[in-house]
Amino acid sequence: MDPRVGLLREFSRGFTPGTAKIETEQFGFAFLEQLLADGVRLEYGELTATRLLHKYKLVDIPERRMDEFLQAHIDRGCNVCRYFDARENDVFCFNLDNNHKTENTVVIPEMELAVQALRSCLQDLGFEPLIVASGRGYHVWCRTEAPVANDRLSAFMLRAAVRALMAFHGSGRDHQQIKFNFYPDVKTINVVSLRLFGSVHAKTKVFSHVLGPEGLLGEDASWRAFEHFVRNRAISLALFEQALDALPVAP
Amino acid sequence: MNRAARQDSGETMNERAATAEMPPTGAGPAGLRTIAVDLDDTLNDFSATLRDGRFPFDEGYALPGETFSRYLERVRGGEPEAGHLLSTEYSFFRYKIHARCYQLAHAREDGVEFMQWLRRNQWRIVICTHRDLRRANDLTRTWLAENGIPFDHLFTALNKIVFCKAWGIAHLVDDDGFNIAHGGNYGVNVYYPVMEKHRSLQPHAARPFQSFEEVKRWIQE
Repeated sequence: MDPRVGLLREFSRGFTPGTAKIETEQFGFAFLEQLLADGVRLEYGELTATRLLHKYKLVDIPERRMDEFLQAHIDRGCNVCRYFDARENDVFCFNLDNNHKTENTVVIPEMELAVQALRSCLQDLGFEPLIVASGRGYHVWCRTEAPVANDRLSAFMLRAAVRALMAFHGSGRDHQQIKFNFYPDVKTINVVSLRLFGSVHAKTKVFSHVLGPEGLLGEDASWRAFEHFVRNRAISLALFEQALDALPVAP
Repeated sequence: MNRAARQDSGETMNERAATAEMPPTGAGPAGLRTIAVDLDDTLNDFSATLRDGRFPFDEGYALPGETFSRYLERVRGGEPEAGHLLSTEYSFFRYKIHARCYQLAHAREDGVEFMQWLRRNQWRIVICTHRDLRRANDLTRTWLAENGIPFDHLFTALNKIVFCKAWGIAHLVDDDGFNIAHGGNYGVNVYYPVMEKHRSLQPHAARPFQSFEEVKRWIQE
């Protein structure tokens, strides 16, 4: 097995088992039949506005098939997106998106300001996030040593986002140019999924490079950064609670 | 994944633009008849529900009462988010009202009977909608089950003509003017329930119907 499949599995251990969204330019009923082999079920499919990119929300995926999807994800045959657990998770993610209807894959100054402010905020609290270029912005991932209840994770992310957005005050920049989403979000659990690291953006076909302190890392360096993140950067529960207490309650 | 089946045209596709080059068909096994059927204003009375339905104000909307009333009027008028931003207070509100309509809308009796007839006659049924199924999947499935409407697959597609062509679906039942106008050019037989909004359409090959009984006849020709 490709060791990167093992890494993605380890990273995904807390997500909803057997559920994933697959993004691919493959389609047709013959393909769907292959996709739904071994008892896999289609919740819904989507033809997007980007070329012939299709998305398929699948449930009841056996472990072996999930590994095949992960391998295809690494081989750029598809992107695998996963759903967070409905009660508790050991990863959480700030999803920063360019909020424009058009040309939203451009990194705008507001995005740079927000992601750097968020990185600083998290580092001040003792966290070392994995920041991944997502196409419309960044995914800022953190990982805890054990699952944390979703309402605690949501509370933390809201407070950290408010702290990061304070950087806009007096900057002359409009925070509405970007959109902050939190994963997991108790209001949208089972509705939204996130692409795993290693994906290729649907529109730009660009790999999901890791954003290091000096800029975007190359593909191999990004995989090494991801491995380091999975192996070494789990936040202790004590540190998480301490960080939650340290941030002011959001209004 | 089966890379041989990859169908990459390499062209950017505008969601509302008819494409000059259509993709190869993905119909699958020969002989299985497939039809795509829209939901809103085709199998249900979405527009009437939006126009006449009651949407009481409550604090769950997280809006002042005055803003709620103003936004509701805009949604009833079919106004999309006009600004340059994707996600706004108004766009979120608009989705919530639409989602409520998905739940409240009434199924057309002849539409339900038609769908059950398709099932009895071994048609493969694809529900093909503009709805954001990421958010509306559960309530759409609930509504379909409550109304006894059978289907095989649930798909969302912004450009249904491209979807039908790509998947080798020869028949589409849909009220949307874009699909009515362009289906014939791409070999997709479009059937639509007659509505006031269709009065201004240019000449096209789609067939208007008063009753789903007519569609039943046409798809067997």
